[in-house]
Amino acid sequence: MDAEDFAAIESAVREFVRKEVVPREAEIDERDEIPADLREKAAGLGLFGWALPAEYGGLGLTMAEDVRLAIQLGYTTPAFRSLFGTNNGIAGQAIVGYGSQAQRERWLPALASGEAVASFALTEAEAGSDPSGLTSKAVPESGGYVLTGTKRFITNAPIADVFVVFARTDPASTGREGISALLVPAGLPGVTVGPHDPKMGQAGAWTAEVFLDEVRVPADALIGAEGDGFRIAMASLARGRLHIAAVCVGMAERALAEAVEHARTTRQGGRVIGDFQLVQALLAESHAELYAGRSMVLRAAEEYDAGTDRRLGPSSAKLFCTEMLGRVADRAVQVHGGMGYMRGVAVERIYRDARLFRIYEGTSEIQKLVIARTLLHPR
Amino acid sequence: MEVLVCVKRVPAAGARVPLTGDGRDIDTRHLGFTIGPHEECAVEEAVRLVAAHGGRVTVLAVGPAECAEQVRYALAMGADRGVLVDAGRSDPDPEATAGAITQAVRTLTGGEEPFDLLLFGDCSADAGHHQVGIRVATGLGLPIVSGVKALEVAGDGLRMRREAGDGVEVYRVPLPAAAAVREGLNLPRYPSLPGRLRARKAELRTVAVEPEPGGLRTVRLRQPADDRAAVVVLGHGAAAAPAVVDVLDELGVV
Repeated sequence: MDAEDFAAIESAVREFVRKEVVPREAEIDERDEIPADLREKAAGLGLFGWALPAEYGGLGLTMAEDVRLAIQLGYTTPAFRSLFGTNNGIAGQAIVGYGSQAQRERWLPALASGEAVASFALTEAEAGSDPSGLTSKAVPESGGYVLTGTKRFITNAPIADVFVVFARTDPASTGREGISALLVPAGLPGVTVGPHDPKMGQAGAWTAEVFLDEVRVPADALIGAEGDGFRIAMASLARGRLHIAAVCVGMAERALAEAVEHARTTRQGGRVIGDFQLVQALLAESHAELYAGRSMVLRAAEEYDAGTDRRLGPSSAKLFCTEMLGRVADRAVQVHGGMGYMRGVAVERIYRDARLFRIYEGTSEIQKLVIARTLLHPR
Repeated sequence: MEVLVCVKRVPAAGARVPLTGDGRDIDTRHLGFTIGPHEECAVEEAVRLVAAHGGRVTVLAVGPAECAEQVRYALAMGADRGVLVDAGRSDPDPEATAGAITQAVRTLTGGEEPFDLLLFGDCSADAGHHQVGIRVATGLGLPIVSGVKALEVAGDGLRMRREAGDGVEVYRVPLPAAAAVREGLNLPRYPSLPGRLRARKAELRTVAVEPEPGGLRTVRLRQPADDRAAVVVLGHGAAAAPAVVDVLDELGVV
């Protein structure tokens, strides 16, 4: 896509976020759901499939373009991005990168149009950021597999049409070996999705447990080859980590914009609080960190596209930007004073919403391990 | 079904419309441009009709080359072809605009399939003359219904509905026909991202027409009296309560 075309796309997404979503943030937070009409508009715009290949109805964006859109989407409630985040991200990319032609043709057009939602079922109670401990099983049987296991915190599970499920096809295996990825339609007998989890923040972004009770899938449900699961999961997550870092940059931009506006207009003791140097310090620290985070994401995305680094950059950006957002959100609340602690004020929501980013798609601690291992044992 | 939709490039003004120094025009130096809400519904309706019954949607705008922005927006919504009509004047009045469109329609349909339906917005979002659709239909000898709030294919023609006082008027119109539609006819879609990309690259046809004289001359535009909301402090602490009750009472809330 040429630069002018992409600029038009970026501008359209920016306009949509600010005109259609921002005014409804409080409603989404309060009702813990994305209104149906907003979902419909997002699907109409093409947000369910921007990162999917153009031949399947997406836009086929590069990582450098993907992160710029993610920054725009990050400006509003993360629940909105989450609605189509799994289609474009971890679940959709697993099908794009490793699915068979038949799997791509069956699912990608429906995912791109928003008719279907795909969900990435990796995490388990005892296998979070490190999936090598997962225990779900896919036992080969009569030309297919029988799946059993329980998945936890699965984003979009309550509205999913299909799951990318990670399970052990080799029952004797341990660690990262013997794990495979399978496409499991949500309507299959034995698939049960629990109620959506009540959470501290990110209201409207639904996660739930997924129970797999002797779910029979055909052999062609396999994504890639048997035993490719860990590699598929890691590849999908690397892209996802960079995307999440970009979302954090967008959210930090919003938190800072709210803080600046508050500092410029709120008076204490007869002066606008932006005149106080300690308030100015809070704004300046946030801006400097935000600038660093944005630069990091854009650089890491370029390197991802060039294929020169798909580990250090994404993990470093995810680590820095999620932690940076936490600090920027905290300062934004501080600038707001008591108002920043009140429900209905944007920075109060952002403060709660921000916390999850340091945990999901690989905790900060896991990112540090990935970075350190790559430094110590370069391939 | 071959459908032609006529759209106008209008300033996207906020609550207060800035005027030029001589008071004869809108000061557009700091404004973006758009198509009016009635016309956006006309494009949406045309795209839906063609999706359901086949055919093509052609979108046409009269005016300077910048009108391409509005034509491309309609293409992004799903229209198939875009036409710019160069009438040789920057701001033709409704009579001149209608003359230009009438000529352009004759040019476009010369040797091609005639349009089955011409759709207009009921009135433009800036001037609001309510004239162009009716003048074009008259010029081309087509039946037209204005103020249309619902439109559907019925047999070989169309059934159109419009509000009239306390009632509703329903018209059956044979094709070819014209309609001037109102906002509320449908909920226009957000142009999709792939649609916007297609529209950016679409080739627009330019049709030159002979300028026709218009009959209207703008003498002066005037801003309505400034009625911006003002903040009134009713009191402080508990002392404000009686005044608040009075206001609530006045509003009929209590």
